[in-house]
Amino acid sequence: MHGDILFWQVLLLTLYSMYQIWDDLTIVSSLAQPVWAGLIAGAVMGDVTKGLIIGGSLQLTVLGVGTFGGSSKIDANSGTILATAFSISTGMNASTAVAAIGVPVASLMIETDILGRFTNTFFQHRIDRLIDEENYPAIERNYLYGIIPWILSRGLPVFLALQFGGNFVSSAVKILDTNLKWLSNGLATAGALLPAVGFAILLRYLPVRKHLAYLILGFTLTALFSTLYTNVQSLGTAMTKVSKGFSGSFNAVSMVAIALIGLTFAINEYKRDDEKQQLAEIRQQQKPVAQSTTTEEGEIYGDED
Amino acid sequence: MATKTNYKLTKKDFRQINRRNLFFNQLGWNYEKMQGSGYLFIIMPQLRKLYGDHTPELKKAMKAHNQFFNTNPFVNTIIQGVDLAIEENKGTDSLETVSGLKTGLMGPLAAIGDSIFASLIPAIMGAIAANMAVQGNPFGLVLWLIANLCVMYLRWIQLPLAYREGTNLVTKMQGKLNSLTDAATLLGVYVVGALVATLISVQVPFVANIGKVTVNLQNELDMIMPKLVPGVIVALIYWLLGRKKMTSTKAIFIVIIVAVICSALGILGKTA
Repeated sequence: MHGDILFWQVLLLTLYSMYQIWDDLTIVSSLAQPVWAGLIAGAVMGDVTKGLIIGGSLQLTVLGVGTFGGSSKIDANSGTILATAFSISTGMNASTAVAAIGVPVASLMIETDILGRFTNTFFQHRIDRLIDEENYPAIERNYLYGIIPWILSRGLPVFLALQFGGNFVSSAVKILDTNLKWLSNGLATAGALLPAVGFAILLRYLPVRKHLAYLILGFTLTALFSTLYTNVQSLGTAMTKVSKGFSGSFNAVSMVAIALIGLTFAINEYKRDDEKQQLAEIRQQQKPVAQSTTTEEGEIYGDED
Repeated sequence: MATKTNYKLTKKDFRQINRRNLFFNQLGWNYEKMQGSGYLFIIMPQLRKLYGDHTPELKKAMKAHNQFFNTNPFVNTIIQGVDLAIEENKGTDSLETVSGLKTGLMGPLAAIGDSIFASLIPAIMGAIAANMAVQGNPFGLVLWLIANLCVMYLRWIQLPLAYREGTNLVTKMQGKLNSLTDAATLLGVYVVGALVATLISVQVPFVANIGKVTVNLQNELDMIMPKLVPGVIVALIYWLLGRKKMTSTKAIFIVIIVAVICSALGILGKTA
């Protein structure tokens, strides 16, 4: 049936959404990242490529968003799971799904994250009492119960949305494709534009002023090369149509090569910095020696404190 | 009463602490003590060995370690390593020193850990993985997994290192890490510049007909500088994010709304 997600698919996706929050809190294997969510949700739903595209777009959108000091972050992982599942089941365009489902879900999930962190206080309060009672196994048990609010904060909303949201999404898609074509185009444009937000957030966290020259270099170099490569690509494709004897493969510009150019600058920067610091250290060490020889004694006593 | 404890930590203890840290850290995270109960949970078996079960010393130590604690989850075992080295030698008398050490170290370590493990690595690996993923290639995801396995290895070996070196480790690390962070942020800024030029697939579909002359605006813009549109858009959002009371979530929604309006007006469109 069009628009339906089978129960085993709902179950697998829910289990993954529970696993990912555990992963993100503990081992951090990267399996909790939106790109992985896209791959896994895509595999469950039977369209890996679409999953990768949605996961990749949402990954770029939240590129600079991290959690610091226990603040909740936009949950792009759950957003990817729902956007991928519904996009594949209803035939919604990938870019549209990113903007219309992925982002709203991701920001709504901030609330369940807060709720999870809040309810955890219940189990952790018991530990105070159990320390007094010297009940060691119970302390460890109650600590581990903390996983319950965590996995429910992700699993429950994902399960409910997948199980009961299908009809709503598929009728929304129908309306978007017929009466509201402008809106569906707009959302697709928004989806294509969202990585720009991710890059801007990232730049906010990076020392842009200090390394401004390298920002310009990276941008200009890539803009020129990617235009060149794209043009050569279309030229090559056109040529193969005209002449059968013409052959050759034309790839897009290699981002690894572009990154390697940047790496050379980074290596130089590291060396310069390291030398500077070593010089500063040597200067510090020489100072007391030059001033007086008695400081040696002071140093020995100083270590005891 | 003797202040010294009669137990020395072994390799087995380090393995147990590392296992507890890798698989169960932050499960008890809550708004009151944050990672506090997690800190206790991770070193609890060792505390029991150091002080002995059902002793007043153990109760005192457990209470001291069930207090507010929060740092970057990639580097927290450095603090636990230094902590255990001290407690093993000086027993409960050192608990005040240890508490000061915990609060003193958690800030600087959070700064180092957050900038390297929570920002730079996910940003760079995420950019690579996403860049490949939007072209339908899952190889970048595997690269990210491998990179994070390497990080896990570092998290595993830092504990005995911190136990042996004590607070020296943190001061020693600081210099090297500063240079490394500086170089890595340079690469980060450069890569973001490159990504802006490749991954934002929007264009200006607006075509003006002035008399018999048709002006394709995108073509004109490309003559000035290819990829000018993505560059300007990122600069605008960067400025937007710097405004007061602006959050990343708000900015994302503003961009969606503006994109829909611009697309309806025919100013912006998705490149095929």
